[in-house]
Amino acid sequence: MTLLTLTFYYMAAASIASALLAVTRKNPVHSMLWVLALFLHVAGIFLLLGAEFLAAVQVIVYAGAILIFYLFVVMLLDVPEEEARPRFGGHWPLAAGAGLSFIALAWLAQVTTFEKVGTASGARGMTEGPPQGSLAEIGMALFGPFALPFELASLVLLASIVGAVVLARRRAAKS
Amino acid sequence: MTAPLNAVLGLSAVLFGIGVFGFLARRNIILMLISVEVMLNAVNLSLAGFSQHFEESRGQILALFVIAVAAAEVGVGLGLVIALNRNKPGAAVADLTKLKW
Repeated sequence: MTLLTLTFYYMAAASIASALLAVTRKNPVHSMLWVLALFLHVAGIFLLLGAEFLAAVQVIVYAGAILIFYLFVVMLLDVPEEEARPRFGGHWPLAAGAGLSFIALAWLAQVTTFEKVGTASGARGMTEGPPQGSLAEIGMALFGPFALPFELASLVLLASIVGAVVLARRRAAKS
Repeated sequence: MTAPLNAVLGLSAVLFGIGVFGFLARRNIILMLISVEVMLNAVNLSLAGFSQHFEESRGQILALFVIAVAAAEVGVGLGLVIALNRNKPGAAVADLTKLKW
């Protein structure tokens, strides 16, 4: 077991712990900070998986932009009153059952189907390490075969910007 | 392989399960949206794992699109939260009974 594998297992354990803390804390701001820890650990796992660009995007977009947006909206809340309320609905055992059954289902799918795929690709999976120049490869793919989805993503973002402005705009005071 | 694929997929499944639990159990709409973010991160993790295992960059490209859609979802979702907040302060889903007569 190399040092990198140990690092991966540390990142995995830390991200599970911070995700659990994020969904169970009473104070919304504490939840946000635990989600920040989760995002940074997931970025570390991306680095270990050879997805450097994805790690950078994770830190910039998730930790930098999305989480700050959430924190701004949390400022609308009355945090002391929010802490006094019950955290979970009365149906939380059902929710926990749904989460656990999803995990069990994913595990089952993995052990039943993935064994074959894993052995099938085992022959060429011998080359060690991440592919060289993966950022250049991603850039070429984004502007080559994936150019249309790339442009459509900008359309989705434009629609969401317009939608957010329309939804959050203060209505005119008349009528 | 620094990270075995089975471990990555297991971690992804556990994170997704935590997100499902949080989405279904929390009563605060902002924390429900945060649970959705946890689920999307879990999916990205498994995509990156597959991308490494099969030495394919398509998994990472798909993860980039997932991140773009997550950003769009946050914009619209939090715009809805602000609009709801204007009518009734607070973010508890149990209070959102406007459609219930």
